[in-house]
Amino acid sequence: MRCNRWTISIALAAALIVANAAASAHDETKYPDWSGQWRRPQGVGIQWDPSKPLGPTQQAPLTPEYQKVFEASLADQKAGGQGGDPTYTCIPPGMPRAMTVVFPMEIVILPQLTYILQEYVPMIRRVYTDGRDFPPDEEPAFLGYSIGKWVDEDNDGKFDVLEIETRNMKGPRSFDASGIPLHADNETVVKERIWLDKTNKDLLRNEITTIDNALTRPWTVLKTYRRDLNAKTIWFEYVCAEGNRHVVVGKNNYFISGDGYLMPTRKDQAPPDLKFFNQPSR
Amino acid sequence: MLHRSLIGTVALAAGLAFIAADAQAFDQSKYPDWTGAWRRIATPGVTGQPGSAQPKRLGPPQQAPLTPEAEAIMRTSMADQAKGGQGNYPTYICIPPGMPRTMNPYGAMEIVITPHTTHMFMEHIHDSRRIHTDGRDWPKEIKPTLVGYAIGKWLDTDGDGKFDTLEIESRGMRGPRAFDATGMPLHADNKTIVKERISLDKSNANVMLNDITTFDSSLTRPWAIIKRYGRNPNEKFSWHEENCPEGNAHVEIQGQGYFLSGDGHLMPSQKDQPPPDLRHFKQSAK
Repeated sequence: MRCNRWTISIALAAALIVANAAASAHDETKYPDWSGQWRRPQGVGIQWDPSKPLGPTQQAPLTPEYQKVFEASLADQKAGGQGGDPTYTCIPPGMPRAMTVVFPMEIVILPQLTYILQEYVPMIRRVYTDGRDFPPDEEPAFLGYSIGKWVDEDNDGKFDVLEIETRNMKGPRSFDASGIPLHADNETVVKERIWLDKTNKDLLRNEITTIDNALTRPWTVLKTYRRDLNAKTIWFEYVCAEGNRHVVVGKNNYFISGDGYLMPTRKDQAPPDLKFFNQPSR
Repeated sequence: MLHRSLIGTVALAAGLAFIAADAQAFDQSKYPDWTGAWRRIATPGVTGQPGSAQPKRLGPPQQAPLTPEAEAIMRTSMADQAKGGQGNYPTYICIPPGMPRTMNPYGAMEIVITPHTTHMFMEHIHDSRRIHTDGRDWPKEIKPTLVGYAIGKWLDTDGDGKFDTLEIESRGMRGPRAFDATGMPLHADNKTIVKERISLDKSNANVMLNDITTFDSSLTRPWAIIKRYGRNPNEKFSWHEENCPEGNAHVEIQGQGYFLSGDGHLMPSQKDQPPPDLRHFKQSAK
């Protein structure tokens, strides 16, 4: 009898230890391997829809009002200005443009949160996967507020898709460097589905749908990121402000010349008003 | 007999399952709870930007072991700041502070522990760090960065089977960097090494201690200080996006700091400061 009770106790204790280990551990095997450094595939530029060239050929479904805003942006850029692209002063691109992944990206998966780290600007996206609702009074941010949900699409007991919804963005934001605009009301909603390519585990797909009042309909694009398989991954530090030659005074953009002087960015551009200076300019 | 065999089988299966679970899972219970938002602990009466050595005031009260050359740079910097300039203070145009200053920290800090990397996310100019804890050696070539390259090692100093201290060494930094807002300089040779031992205060799990030692050619000896960070367990914290360039009214032209007025005009930042040279403009200024 003593032997039986002892054996039962050991069995019970072992089972409890298993349960405890499972409760305190983050079971990485339940999540896809999205580790490493992700980049845009070679040959893919920084336009919003990777399948089309930058500019009007993006065929963005803009409303007539925002099509005019876009055309004004292109014209300004042609004349030497920056148009509707606010990032030249190191303002973050925000969402959805952050997911173009200008510079490498890292994804860190934890039970309650998935971090999407961008080396461009740089940016830290926090995607909350703890089942929370969108908070009612969160301060708007360029990256917005993201809530995600893991999905096991093939029912193999392992998550393979991360669905994300992002709201609560602020502006100014554009889709890409050509200045395709998002609406000034900042009521953008961005929905993403991210998954590994089934035939190539080193390609990550992101189906991004943007719902915005600058658009006549939701705009869906498919972005792909490739995993850097270099054994010696380098995370380089991008400091936008360092060596940034753009200077904005009022509503005018100027440039710092190679020899350090203020210079115009367009033909016949007037210098800034120096009314606050006692001394004349040299 | 069958009854005993069944019990034994259950025990064996449970044991094997335990081993398997441990092999596949990242056991967070082995690591300290460093979740949440960590901020520097303010010292009553010590106002303004954080100094390197808490709780002393900035500048000379820090009693940093500076070489005479570095001391002179600091005093020149402070004199320029007293006149309205920025001195030796590169962060005013949103250049990240780099190490060791990033560990003051200016804003809130989040620490995310994963099996091979401990991430430190900073909400000030986003000067975040990656601490590699995968046992790697120093690479032969390090691309210099402002925060440097950091290798860490977890320690179980009290032998309770759980890590409690993270030892970190950072090398491979570049400049310009200063210890604090006075412009107390680190040497231009960028041979800085920073060593840290980070742990929770044993008497208060919401206080984190960072025993940080800086080795630098601007110092006469290694400078060791203890920084303290606190978290509020009752705070419903929201990570605020801080974007230094947004609304930054500082402008640097020809190495001179200017300012943008509230109505968007260029203005001097020091008394009698001349305006910038407009030689590249065809039209004259208004």
